[in-house]
Amino acid sequence: MRRTLSYIFMAMAILCFAVPVFAQGGEAASAVNWVAISAGFSMAFASGICALAQGKATAAAAEALARNPAARPGIQLALILGLALIESLALYTLVIIFAKVVK
Amino acid sequence: MREQLWFTAFLNQFLAGPVTALLRALHLQPKYPQAPIPNSVAMEVLVFLFLVVLFVLVRSRLSVDQPGGLQQIFEGAQGFVEGQSQEVIGHHSEGFTPFLTALGFFILTSNLLGLIPGFESPTGASPTVPLGCAICAFVYYQVQGFRHAGIGYLKHFLGPVWWLSWLMLPIELISHTARMLSLTIRLYANMFAGDMVTLVFFSLIPLGVPIVFLGLHMGVSLLQTYIFVLLTTVYLQGAVADEH
Repeated sequence: MRRTLSYIFMAMAILCFAVPVFAQGGEAASAVNWVAISAGFSMAFASGICALAQGKATAAAAEALARNPAARPGIQLALILGLALIESLALYTLVIIFAKVVK
Repeated sequence: MREQLWFTAFLNQFLAGPVTALLRALHLQPKYPQAPIPNSVAMEVLVFLFLVVLFVLVRSRLSVDQPGGLQQIFEGAQGFVEGQSQEVIGHHSEGFTPFLTALGFFILTSNLLGLIPGFESPTGASPTVPLGCAICAFVYYQVQGFRHAGIGYLKHFLGPVWWLSWLMLPIELISHTARMLSLTIRLYANMFAGDMVTLVFFSLIPLGVPIVFLGLHMGVSLLQTYIFVLLTTVYLQGAVADEH
């Protein structure tokens, strides 16, 4: 136990050798491309939540179909309609990205 | 000089002069006077000509005793749209079938045209083409609403109870115009994203893999056509519904 602890403290002490890095003068920050970063994040967010919602819709439709196979046309209609409407919300994000990233 | 498909160049060669004159008469300056017709309009014209030829062909070969393959395809399409509108709208929905079928054929052909090299989907090239389809659908269901209920159609915008109508009116107006927006963006973004994704994978792996995305584009074209027609049917149902 004491040896492990002493090894850990030795490793942390060796890491302190990296302190001269802070001596670098503050250089001019290269322009950060915020548009690309936020485009990536927003699209990922939109796609993830869209996938969750579509999964819920599909699960509900599959369960309803299993309970009542005779109602297939109505359930299928509601499923396709719901999936397309949810998908279109993720697509709005894509359109904003194309409008801003491509300028 | 803008980059043009061969059909666009062909059209611009003959029609650039008259089209530019027409645009200037309407006080619009075309960006490229030698090529005023953009790709999307040229492709739309191609789709229109193809569909007119197809419809004339079917019409000339209609027969009760011996329906040919083409007639059966069209009867199937018409039966599908009619069954769908019967399910969604209910009574007296046969009158809407011609418009919905024509809209469906136009959008389907436009979407699938992008699969052929040398052509591109007018619906994916520019948001104006899906906007045109959405405006047609919007005007159609508003007109059908007025025809069905007369001036009483405006009560649809006021909501269920009279003491909420001051709130419901702007909400309903915005939601009706947002329908046009959503129809346009849905169709345009699906087609455009399909093109983008195919291009990206084509630039990564030029052999074999883009075929998967072309197949996806085909599936998405069919699905988006169906969704557009289905949503127009649902909006029609909202417009001509009888409140009991």
